[in-house]
Amino acid sequence: MNTVSTHVQVNVKTQRAKRTAVNTNRLRKWVWPYAMLSPALVLYGTFFIFPFLFALFLSFMQWNLISPDMEYVGLENYRNLFADDVFWVSFKNTFVYALGTVPASMMIALGLAVLVESVGRAREIYRFLLFIPVVASLAVTSLVWMLLMNPHSGLFNKYLSVFGIEGPNWLNDPNWAMWSLIIIGVWKAIGYNLVLYIAGLKGIDNQLYEAAEIDGAGKWKQFFTITMPLLAPVNLFVLIVSIINSFQVFTTIHIMTQGGPNNATNVLVYQVWQEAFQFFDIGKASALSMVLFALLLIITIVQIRMTESKVHYQ
Amino acid sequence: MIANRKNLRLITKHSFIIAVTFAALFPFIWMASISVKPANEVFEGALGFLPKSISWDGYLQVFEQTPFFTWAYNSLFIAIVQTIGQVVIAFFAAYAFSRFKFPGRDLLFYFVLATMIIPVQAVMIPTFLTINMFGWINTFAGVIVPYLASGYAIFLMRQFFLSIPHELASAAAIDGCGELRILWHIYLPASMSAVAALSIILFVNHWNEFYWPLLVLTDEQKLTLPIALVHFQNEGVMEWVPTMAVSTLSTIPVLILFLFTQKKFVEGFANSGLKG
Repeated sequence: MNTVSTHVQVNVKTQRAKRTAVNTNRLRKWVWPYAMLSPALVLYGTFFIFPFLFALFLSFMQWNLISPDMEYVGLENYRNLFADDVFWVSFKNTFVYALGTVPASMMIALGLAVLVESVGRAREIYRFLLFIPVVASLAVTSLVWMLLMNPHSGLFNKYLSVFGIEGPNWLNDPNWAMWSLIIIGVWKAIGYNLVLYIAGLKGIDNQLYEAAEIDGAGKWKQFFTITMPLLAPVNLFVLIVSIINSFQVFTTIHIMTQGGPNNATNVLVYQVWQEAFQFFDIGKASALSMVLFALLLIITIVQIRMTESKVHYQ
Repeated sequence: MIANRKNLRLITKHSFIIAVTFAALFPFIWMASISVKPANEVFEGALGFLPKSISWDGYLQVFEQTPFFTWAYNSLFIAIVQTIGQVVIAFFAAYAFSRFKFPGRDLLFYFVLATMIIPVQAVMIPTFLTINMFGWINTFAGVIVPYLASGYAIFLMRQFFLSIPHELASAAAIDGCGELRILWHIYLPASMSAVAALSIILFVNHWNEFYWPLLVLTDEQKLTLPIALVHFQNEGVMEWVPTMAVSTLSTIPVLILFLFTQKKFVEGFANSGLKG
């Protein structure tokens, strides 16, 4: 009897000791990650979550940034926004810009990547040169593009006139301004996409091509039956990054057109800026921020759903 | 015959790529060309894009009439401090994400991914008000601190850490190594190359940054190069030749850095999410 009970007691004691050991162990395991994440979390809290909630709050207010008075107006900012023609123009333009830049920059980059990879040793030099537009500042290059697109003295129209074509008034013509920005957007994005595609192409086993060659498949057939399917994850990644980037276009618009002429190049991101810092309508700008956020969230969720099986984050 | 056709095909390929490369680089060629033109030649009717005669007046004008070196110093300072801060913070965060299992980990990681997707413009008004509250308008802290935690950097570092075999750290832990020692003696040396690639990319991005500094910095002595350029252009203070001189001068450092770190640079870009 006695021996059994002491035995049990000892057993309980060791178990308890074990459990506390596990607890402190687990605690230590939890403390480290949170401690290491804490600088990032504090910064995100202060400069991301708080501003986000604050923006949500401001979207229900009427405020001009300067006056101490703030007035609660409920959903009026949203109502005003949806009744505002400029909003719908910006909304449409945001998609036009994305549709104009994303597929073009992806297709050109993919074609170039395949070409550049196939020319032997010179490819290093080409890759270097083609990447230069990516590393250069968009603020700087926007000014250069402005000069190039100057209707009277810009080189574009001078060259066109050689062929007897009267060039458009690129940035000042409502029909051309968006196209001008799209051209620059494509120009800027090609180098980046190119590098991603080259990395993807390098990951494809050369034996596949050799086998296809023996089977008598031509270059085009190889491209569509081997390259394209195996590049699918890269394609999706490039697509996501390109769409996100295209939705954030700001610098070229701010420097070259300020959303004009006649809102022809206004996009949602730029309109937020205008409403806030030109018209000082903080409520409307904040409501617009929330709409922009919701829009990007929807697009991102759709993309993650689409890509879940193909691109791995792990 | 076959060799000939192969050569012909190769020549066609090269000429096509060269044409595209030329088009891609044309704005830079023109920028450099204008920067050394005499002012009256800029809009001359000629079709040639290279200057007929070279004049350094534009550059002299920049050095004499603008605080160019102050701007360059500002750009450099902000880019370096921001890069170092982001890399250090991302290093710890990525280590936490890749080495531990803890409650809320996946949720927090999705949150980090989300910060990469939401455009800064969506929260810029309150962020601006926040730094105003801290008294940081027109200070470098106002430019740097709000974006010290970089989702991009955390994501990239984590991707890299996941490729470091877990066994290494586990073995060290069994030998009694604390987390900080594992981090310092195993993860840091193993990730030097990734840290270098990431730093270069971040540095170039910050050197070129336009949007946020434009909002925060207004004092002429505090401006960074891209902001100064546009600021003075808009006010009509600078003519095209000096503008292109500043443009050229602010592009050259990035080009030199890119030239010497090309492989790392491209590696860093290419690795951002493609590791399967």
